[in-house]
Amino acid sequence: MTAVTGHDIPRAARPGARAWGQLILAEMRSVMRDTAGLIIPIGMPSLLLITQGAVASQEILPGMDGRSVYEIYIMPLMLVMVVALVGVVNMPSFLAAYRRQGLLKRLAATPANPSMVLVAQVVTSLAQTLVGVALALGISAAMFGVVGPASLAATVGVFGLVCASMYALGMVVAAISPTPNAAVAIGLASFFGVAAVGGMFGGAQNLPGPVAEFGRWLPYGAGVEAMQHAWIGEAIPWQPIAALAAAVVVGTVCAISLFRWSR
Amino acid sequence: MPEVMGAERDRWHARRLTRLRSVVRMMDIAVEVKGLTREYRHKTALNGVDLSIATGETVGILGSNGAGKSTLVETIAGLRRPSAGSVRVFGLDPWRDRARVRGALGVQLQEAQLHSDLTVAENIRLHRSFYREGERPEELMEKLGLVASARVRAQHLSGGQAQRLSVAVALVGRPRIVILDELTTGLDPEGRRDIWRVIELMQEREATVLLVSHSMDEVERLCDRVVMLDRGRVAIEGTPADLVTRTGSENLEDAFLRVRERTAERRAS
Repeated sequence: MTAVTGHDIPRAARPGARAWGQLILAEMRSVMRDTAGLIIPIGMPSLLLITQGAVASQEILPGMDGRSVYEIYIMPLMLVMVVALVGVVNMPSFLAAYRRQGLLKRLAATPANPSMVLVAQVVTSLAQTLVGVALALGISAAMFGVVGPASLAATVGVFGLVCASMYALGMVVAAISPTPNAAVAIGLASFFGVAAVGGMFGGAQNLPGPVAEFGRWLPYGAGVEAMQHAWIGEAIPWQPIAALAAAVVVGTVCAISLFRWSR
Repeated sequence: MPEVMGAERDRWHARRLTRLRSVVRMMDIAVEVKGLTREYRHKTALNGVDLSIATGETVGILGSNGAGKSTLVETIAGLRRPSAGSVRVFGLDPWRDRARVRGALGVQLQEAQLHSDLTVAENIRLHRSFYREGERPEELMEKLGLVASARVRAQHLSGGQAQRLSVAVALVGRPRIVILDELTTGLDPEGRRDIWRVIELMQEREATVLLVSHSMDEVERLCDRVVMLDRGRVAIEGTPADLVTRTGSENLEDAFLRVRERTAERRAS
């Protein structure tokens, strides 16, 4: 017998837009048919904002066009927290469940690649988060008279970058977690790690100097700082933007290279 | 030889002849395994396996539970990395050149699952979208008796229907090499026949088939050659008829049991 060479196999075209679309559609359908998974991304933002808004919305800050403490400090922080919780803790557990069930192993035997699987998860989760955030903002506007960001374009841009950085971190968790329990454990550890040094517990100003400076370069601290500046229409410092962009690049590269199809 | 009657037997012979001719004509190696060893933390699943499979050939992998059958086919599919030795699929390393090799493979795995919240048709269409060319999902569902359950979610399928779906997903990309692990486990006789017919269609298209099975009649009907694994090594290989003759047995099942006994005796001595 004579061995044939690989030229006999045509160079496989990477799965095209149709495959990406089908995989995203498959994830969307799965989510819509198993509605329990919608509770956290859609319900949590409203719950967090309503519980914080009752008192903080009464304290109007002078010189801020009628905006309250709730709007200037709490809403940006809560929005970052919601995206971090869903992106870093909630989303990876679904992918880890697929890994445990053997669904990823099945996909591994097809031309589908890790990027497709990760992006389908992120797009599906992000769509749910955006619905949840929109709902929460609507409720906040109706209940607490929120004026809205001074610079809508900057706020939307920064929020997009915050989402991208948190989901990039979440993709790393999703890429390496062998089981859903491990995903929740790694996700929670990552979330509390970046949130604690980012000032979630009592503000970054109360942290020791080097810790606060370190936290400023991680997605949570950088996200809160950038969101607050954007909300009140101030110029956004370059550091948090650079930190968020770096998190997107590093997280995405790490997730794709560390991705495991099976446990 | 399986118990087939009259016209069906003639068709079976004609198909076999066509395939043998194509194998002789092409004489190309589709899969080449040399000294393949795969070790896990506390176990050696494969220990120096050598195997060559020609293009268009159908090879049955037999062995007791834990003999290394699934590890062998998963390594050939590029899902596991060899600890030592090499695997080539059309001359390519399925681990390093996985993107290229997977476009030519159709794999049905023993434990792998499908999207449980998607329907049969949605699962097949999803997998079809990964390949540039392939079967029409509707035609495949018809061939495999899945039309009635096209709108049923995978999680609500019976074991047999789920197995048919698993095979459909493996074949939807019209693969040049088909790897089928426990092909008809859990299927009723009608389901087995349906799947066998689809495999025979693949064979007529000169697809190379690796079939892991515990079903001797299935192996006798579908396979040109049989490889028996025992504790991670090739215990014996040959055509089904050849194995029966060489072991002095009455049928393939008997041959399988004798080979097992002999290898156990050899180990004991």
